[in-house]
Amino acid sequence: MFLAAAVDNSIRLNLSWVDYLMLVVYFAVVIGIGFVARTRVKTSMDFFLSGRSMPAWITGLAFVSANLGATEILGMAANGAQIGMSTLHYYLIGAVPAMVFLGLVLMPFYYGSKVRSVPEFMLRRFGKPSHIANSIAFAISSVLIAGINLYAMAIVIEAMLGWPQWIAIVVSGGFVLVYITLGGLSSAIYNEVMQFFVIVAGLVPLTIVGLNRVHGWGGLVDALQKTEGAKLLSTWQGTAVGNVTNPIGADWLAIVFGLGFVLSFGYWTTNFTEVQRAFSAKNMSAARRTPLIGAFPKLFIPFIVVVPGLIAAATIGNQLSATAGPGKLTYNDVIPKLMQMYLPTGVLGIAVTGLLASFMAGMAANVSSFNTVFSYDIWQRYIKKDRPDEYYLKTGRWVTVAGVLIGILTAFIAAQAANIMTYLQTLFSFFNAPLFGVFILGLVWKRMTPVAAFVSYLAGILAPTIVYIAYLNNNKLFQTATAETLYGAIISFATVVVIGVAISMFTTPKPVSELTGLVYGVGKVDLTKDVVAGDTKWYRSPALLGTAALVLCVALYLPFI
Amino acid sequence: MSKTNDDSLTAEERARVTSTRRFDLRRILGGLFVLYGLVVTVIGILNAASDSRQTGGIAINLWAGLAMLALGILFFVWDHFAPVPEDDILRSLERNDEEKKEGEGR
Repeated sequence: MFLAAAVDNSIRLNLSWVDYLMLVVYFAVVIGIGFVARTRVKTSMDFFLSGRSMPAWITGLAFVSANLGATEILGMAANGAQIGMSTLHYYLIGAVPAMVFLGLVLMPFYYGSKVRSVPEFMLRRFGKPSHIANSIAFAISSVLIAGINLYAMAIVIEAMLGWPQWIAIVVSGGFVLVYITLGGLSSAIYNEVMQFFVIVAGLVPLTIVGLNRVHGWGGLVDALQKTEGAKLLSTWQGTAVGNVTNPIGADWLAIVFGLGFVLSFGYWTTNFTEVQRAFSAKNMSAARRTPLIGAFPKLFIPFIVVVPGLIAAATIGNQLSATAGPGKLTYNDVIPKLMQMYLPTGVLGIAVTGLLASFMAGMAANVSSFNTVFSYDIWQRYIKKDRPDEYYLKTGRWVTVAGVLIGILTAFIAAQAANIMTYLQTLFSFFNAPLFGVFILGLVWKRMTPVAAFVSYLAGILAPTIVYIAYLNNNKLFQTATAETLYGAIISFATVVVIGVAISMFTTPKPVSELTGLVYGVGKVDLTKDVVAGDTKWYRSPALLGTAALVLCVALYLPFI
Repeated sequence: MSKTNDDSLTAEERARVTSTRRFDLRRILGGLFVLYGLVVTVIGILNAASDSRQTGGIAINLWAGLAMLALGILFFVWDHFAPVPEDDILRSLERNDEEKKEGEGR
């Protein structure tokens, strides 16, 4: 009786054989897809970019799903419980404008120039030094992130299912290894789309039961207002400059420019892990629609991720702590904890499958972009040139093996981080923000020189690193770690612009003749060359899809101002 | 060069069309969700009492199962009425040499 009265802080799930059956079926299908996809991989382009043959609905869902890894889901639900509706910023202003910009403005340059990766665009526009720096930065960061994902997964699997961490790491690393080595990007994309539907099928019942348990949305609001959680229900209150009282600890300038502009545009428009999905689309129209189609699920995912976070804050908020420790329930545990409380056998199996699938899809997305950049941009460009295509296809498979092994190694040595999301975002702000700065300058200003790009890119990585180290030494510099990330990104972007413009003034730009299709207003990108029947239907118009996404982005803020 | 009836296709082209359509993601999703839907619906019927105790009165397995079943069927219907156009499939077959050159970085 004494034990039963104690608060249950474990998130161990009670799975029956039916739940395991769901898991087994899913991963059997995953491996099956790998083997079928293998028979269809004939060229290195098939392996790395799905032979540029995917329809827009698949690339669009894969685009959003590559971002919807389990670390993201658990991290955002944690934010939901900790900072409440402010988490919406990550889904709305922190994603949608950038996705629309990618589809409407940037994609014609990317897809039209037929580059095979984002670093290759850097090569065309700014030459070798920037290309090498960008390729290496990307290769290292994607393997690191793959390892962090793997480690995060092992912790959760251990807590939920009781598997030792090393088994979780080796088994899921092994699955990713098998299906990516066999089928390349096609395998990765198919699994991302499947994972999307399965995780949604798991989170929707969780949200419905959770809301029922707190007597609906009204009951949730009442419960939160009775505790000190009233500030969890607004997004923009307390963001006045100089009078910051919101839970993010940042004013509206930092949210709009740091998150909404620099971090978001940097992540969504220059992170090859994302953009690669659009590169695999079958034509220009499908490539442009990829991020636009992805924007719509992105707009609504917070209602099955952040709302469960709020439900947890209302029901078990007093048990949640920010730091990990034996027998403690942390914010990152809220989704597994709610699954344990609310989901019976059946839907529980679906939710667990979705969570494990999204862990693996997150890692697979990183590995499949890593192998492309390493094989094409590093190996082919600088180490073994002018070999037949079969050679690079084989290289890609070996690089995949190496990437997964390094990921597994990283997972084993991954250090503990207070909040997984902040740690990931710290990495992003070091690599993506300066890249975006360089790209946007190079895109609008044909005077921007290769030397300026190289120096400002490196300075843009260095600047936020210094800020981060300063913050680690003196955590009074910023209100929260998230605020540090936002300001770090702004500082990085500003560094790139200032240094890029200054150095361009006294160095030589590329001749305009070499910039066709790479700079705004130089030459013209043909948007309709490869158009197929059906692309011209009104509901497939990129401008319409982009506008609708932006309108929804504003509208969804309205109930939570 | 639009090929609309089957007679104008070579054996290789027809095989490619069949294999691409068999591997259509909508069929895989359809199969997965029909299976999940059936299993979860049956669980929902068998465990009606205990489910309702845990969820506070919602027959969550029943509803989720039926919804997944409907989603699975929807994927099959979509695939049936809008198969991948032959032109798309044949074009990627034709592009093989071009793709090899692209892969070699030319």
